[in-house]
Amino acid sequence: MFEFRVARPGERAVLCGSGTSRRDFLHVGALAAVGLSLPQYARAASEGKVRPGCEKRSCITIFNLGGPSNMDLWDMKPDAPAEIRGPFKPIRTKSDAFEVSELLPKHAEIADKFSLVRSCHHDGAAVHDAGWQIMQTGRRFTGGIQTPHAGSVASYLLGRRTDLPPFVVLPEIMGRGGGNLPNGQAGGFLGKAQDPFALMADPSQPNFRVPDLLPPDQISVARLDRRQKMREIVEGAAKQFEASEDARLLDDNFHAAYRLMTSPQAREAFDLSKEPQAVRERYGLNRFGQCCLLARRLVENGVRFVTINTFLTVFDETSWDIHGSKPFTSIEGMKTVVCPMYDQGYSALIEDLHQRGLLDDTLVAGLSEFGRTPKVNPAGGRDHWPQCFTVSFAGGGVKGGRVVGASDTIGAFPAERPVKPGDIVATIFHSLGLDHEMHLPGPAGRPFALTDFGTDPIKELFA
Amino acid sequence: MTSLQRASRRTGRRRDRRTLEEHEAAAASATRLLPSHSRRPALWLSFAMVWCTALRAEEPSFDLDVMPILSKAGCNGGGCHGALAGKAGFRLSLFGYDPQSDYLAITRDARGRRVDLADPGTSLLLTKPTMALAHKGGKRLDVGSDDYALLAAWIEAGCPGPKEDEKTLDAIELAPAESGLAPGQTAQLRVTAKYSDGSSRDVTRWARFTSADETIATIDPAGTVNVIGHGEGAVTAWFSSQIAVARVLAPFPHTVAADVYAAAPRANVIDELNLAQLQKLHLKPSPPCDDATFLRRAFLDTIGRLPSPEEVHAYLADRSPRRKERLVDLLLARPEFVDYWAYKWSDILLVTGAKLRPAAVTAYAQWIRDRVAENAPWDRLVRELVTARGSSTQHGATNFFAVHQDPETLAENVSQAFLALSINCAKCHNHPLEKWTNDQYYAFANLFSRVRAKGWGGDSRNGDGIRTLYVESRGELLQPKTGRPQPPAPLDGEPLPLDDAGDRREPLARWLTAPENPYFTRAIVNRVWANFFGLGLVEPVDDLRTSNPASNEQLLDALCGFTIEHHFDLKQLMRLILLSETYARSSMPLPENRDDRRWFARAYPKRLMAEVLSDAIADVTGVRDRYTETVLADGSTQKLEGYDDDTRALELGDSSVKNYFLDTFGRNAREITCECERSSQPSLVQVLHLSNGSTLNGKLAGKEGRVTQIMATDPAPATLVEDAWILALSRKPTDAERKPFEDMLSKATPEEKRQIVEDMYWSLLTSREFLFRH
Repeated sequence: MFEFRVARPGERAVLCGSGTSRRDFLHVGALAAVGLSLPQYARAASEGKVRPGCEKRSCITIFNLGGPSNMDLWDMKPDAPAEIRGPFKPIRTKSDAFEVSELLPKHAEIADKFSLVRSCHHDGAAVHDAGWQIMQTGRRFTGGIQTPHAGSVASYLLGRRTDLPPFVVLPEIMGRGGGNLPNGQAGGFLGKAQDPFALMADPSQPNFRVPDLLPPDQISVARLDRRQKMREIVEGAAKQFEASEDARLLDDNFHAAYRLMTSPQAREAFDLSKEPQAVRERYGLNRFGQCCLLARRLVENGVRFVTINTFLTVFDETSWDIHGSKPFTSIEGMKTVVCPMYDQGYSALIEDLHQRGLLDDTLVAGLSEFGRTPKVNPAGGRDHWPQCFTVSFAGGGVKGGRVVGASDTIGAFPAERPVKPGDIVATIFHSLGLDHEMHLPGPAGRPFALTDFGTDPIKELFA
Repeated sequence: MTSLQRASRRTGRRRDRRTLEEHEAAAASATRLLPSHSRRPALWLSFAMVWCTALRAEEPSFDLDVMPILSKAGCNGGGCHGALAGKAGFRLSLFGYDPQSDYLAITRDARGRRVDLADPGTSLLLTKPTMALAHKGGKRLDVGSDDYALLAAWIEAGCPGPKEDEKTLDAIELAPAESGLAPGQTAQLRVTAKYSDGSSRDVTRWARFTSADETIATIDPAGTVNVIGHGEGAVTAWFSSQIAVARVLAPFPHTVAADVYAAAPRANVIDELNLAQLQKLHLKPSPPCDDATFLRRAFLDTIGRLPSPEEVHAYLADRSPRRKERLVDLLLARPEFVDYWAYKWSDILLVTGAKLRPAAVTAYAQWIRDRVAENAPWDRLVRELVTARGSSTQHGATNFFAVHQDPETLAENVSQAFLALSINCAKCHNHPLEKWTNDQYYAFANLFSRVRAKGWGGDSRNGDGIRTLYVESRGELLQPKTGRPQPPAPLDGEPLPLDDAGDRREPLARWLTAPENPYFTRAIVNRVWANFFGLGLVEPVDDLRTSNPASNEQLLDALCGFTIEHHFDLKQLMRLILLSETYARSSMPLPENRDDRRWFARAYPKRLMAEVLSDAIADVTGVRDRYTETVLADGSTQKLEGYDDDTRALELGDSSVKNYFLDTFGRNAREITCECERSSQPSLVQVLHLSNGSTLNGKLAGKEGRVTQIMATDPAPATLVEDAWILALSRKPTDAERKPFEDMLSKATPEEKRQIVEDMYWSLLTSREFLFRH
């Protein structure tokens, strides 16, 4: 059969055995069928790396493409002049510490479960893609080195917990941001093997299924097995591919795919039709809402890291990118389309996780590439502003109902406790029980701390 | 003593007890009353002046001394005062591209309080960056530093401004231009400025440095290179909008005898220059690949299809020493050559039904095909395209102007497609990574401001798509910063008179395709190279910035020279590449070249591009895809006519034709001109599709397909196996492969046999040897 080992420190746990055959992988699938979803595997992988008590932790990041307007949503300035405060009013919430916008009534009701960091800022360019890479990897890419997404780091260090991939992006990888820069939703220097599994489908569609997850009916288990054996014979000759990362990765993907497609648990996890209609409606019958619901199912089934892209791009799609004019989004679009959708999906996710007892072990981070200008522009919208914006955290050890940091009177710059992108990503690692000072092997053996020197988790959120 | 007072004392003045307000008022009146040229710096000597005079004989110059200090300290960076709106009321030009306005900003704006001629130490120019006064940008300058003294001396000298007759910076040199080092070693680089009067000076401490590949070498702000890995890297120095690049060579720790290189086969200049670099890097060239591999590789790279079984047998039987040349000439003349290269250029030129009406797509795609078919020289093709006029259905090239309807996007795409330069950043501000300014951007875009078409307006897919392009004799694009038109000019070319009524695109086309325009030739040569090697000499291929040099500059230069010499006949370049020994190397890594990532010591396996893979699967399985629908920009679909059952993916004139396989395997969506739109990364989703999806399974099980045909003739197991290998992998099976498959087939019952054959083909078509060009 097979055995488990942990390779060198810093290396992922790998599945190996004497002449591991594809047949063994089939058995792994079979194991899962009887409920043995490889617990030893997870334990071996996380031994010594994960802070005790955090073994069951997962993370869902909701990436709010476009950059929500903190001034109109969760860091309102009702006393500022009209051209700063904008057209919306704050409302009271379940938390004594903060109010939120009237655009987010459902947030108000669950404000005791999430906390806000109102002093996030970065010094990258005010370009969408630049913020995407900075906020998801904690660093700006320089010198040709692409740093990995926090989810890729978790995949690399902890491996998969079940047959499902450790890191999943819903519904697909982010699209264009206009700056032609890498968006940070990839394994970076950890290699493409740590890239996320992207769903590539819209779970709100009536006929939603994960494309090609299952073999067609005419391919029996016996044939699947035969095909793997045959392929191994053909692959036996191909020594020239060892030095090619793409080619190695393709083979890894064949292993992972085989595992995924033969796993009843994976099939179950992705099957949204198993959810009562009432639950589906509670999340909102739209792409974002159903992605939130799917994220919960994936976390329940052992996925360590899920990233939900609230939108796919900022062009020609109603998004958080409220410049006020085409091809971007108007303030009306934010009010009538984006906010109701987000308010419903987010609050449903938090409540549902809470009711199922999963919230304590699931960090939900609401991130974005930047906030928006303090001043309303002539088109009635607001433009890019990375100098000060708000991000949210819930669950995963984070105490709700709090505010960390503060912006100045017009929301232009942090006034208290400035928080850097590295601090945000370090907070995610902290929640997952990973020490952010631990090192990853970077390109050419250069060690990279999980986050840069001088960054720290926002501990006030947890105490 | 406050630091302000300390600062003031440094300049040798008495301690001054005036309040800050008095300082400001005094400074303001001083500048008003005493124009800088009326003051005589030699009247009194300050500490700074003594120091400075010792350093330099002349009085400090604004252009040559002050600006570099501000740049190095980061004052004019995009995040600081170089931002379009400046910071805290103080605005400098980004990276100092406009010294005249910077001079005014420093000496005149803010009521002149940024400089205090009477008491330089109290100037805001000195008190802010030293944090004597609160400065949001933090501390950028030390009070005791040389730069501080130099700035103080300049103020004390009366803030002499930029002079008309002053010498100008011609170039900078970075030395040593190439340094050979081992990991762990460091080297100090020197930057020398060369001026118009023939003088030069060391400006190392004011230069900014970046490393192009930090896995090989890093560089600190003082210009010290620290080598951390093996290979050849580049570091860039920036000084006063001039850029210089130096190579850092850190040979691999392999021992390769000199006669390995001497004995290595050489066919042409590519091999000479490649081997010279490999020898410097101690990388051993892999031996030539075998004939079967070369045949497959050349077919896939040149015409995007697999060789047929007959072609495989014929080539393997050919023992002539000239077989390679014959093959290459044959491939360059094949009709599929036109399909493949027209498809590639259509990627760059954004031929897509998501943006154009069907009639226009057809005309555009056909125009490109015709140019490839007649082997039009690249410079002519580009000139014709850029100056196209007439009907969108009769002269397909005009659709380039329908895809991009405004002058700005036209300018951006022209530079991206033909120069591989991204100038987009300069639309809102000066380009932070290149020399392009906001003014140059609008000067360039203004070249397109008179392009009009009857029937244009709104969505490019409106109506029947029949439009007539013409050029107005008037009309300007306004530079939004000034509200006035920027005199039209090619990026770094001479501006045209605003009142010239001629088609501005004509001089643009001449500038663009001139042999003197280095970007034009480099861009196309690099694109062609990348096609054949799976990796550009410059990577990414769409980023030809000066600070992103080629992995082998001599080689790229030589190929550019060759291409110009051959009048942009790209087939000549392709022939040179295909016949080089560098191209023919095996992809099998040696211990002495396993770590080679970009120096071409061996061939790099690369996954087939989506369309080629789709066609190859269709060729092997005998079942083609049907292309019946097109996907519009809003995601809706539309019936599509004109493609018959034999249409290959490479014959699609349009990237919006609906096909899940092509999408999953990362075809270029042709939204923007960028090779980055095409993805060749293997993903789990692709593997799931190969395993479970309809493409392979459907084609193997298909009633009309290859497997059905084969089964009808009931061949012997040995034939079944050999034919499959030749079809899919273009080679004969090895004994280790042959035996288990023959055994399985001979033992199979007639009912099982078909499934086994299907599964055998599945295993071949999902093998890396099939999916990759190797």
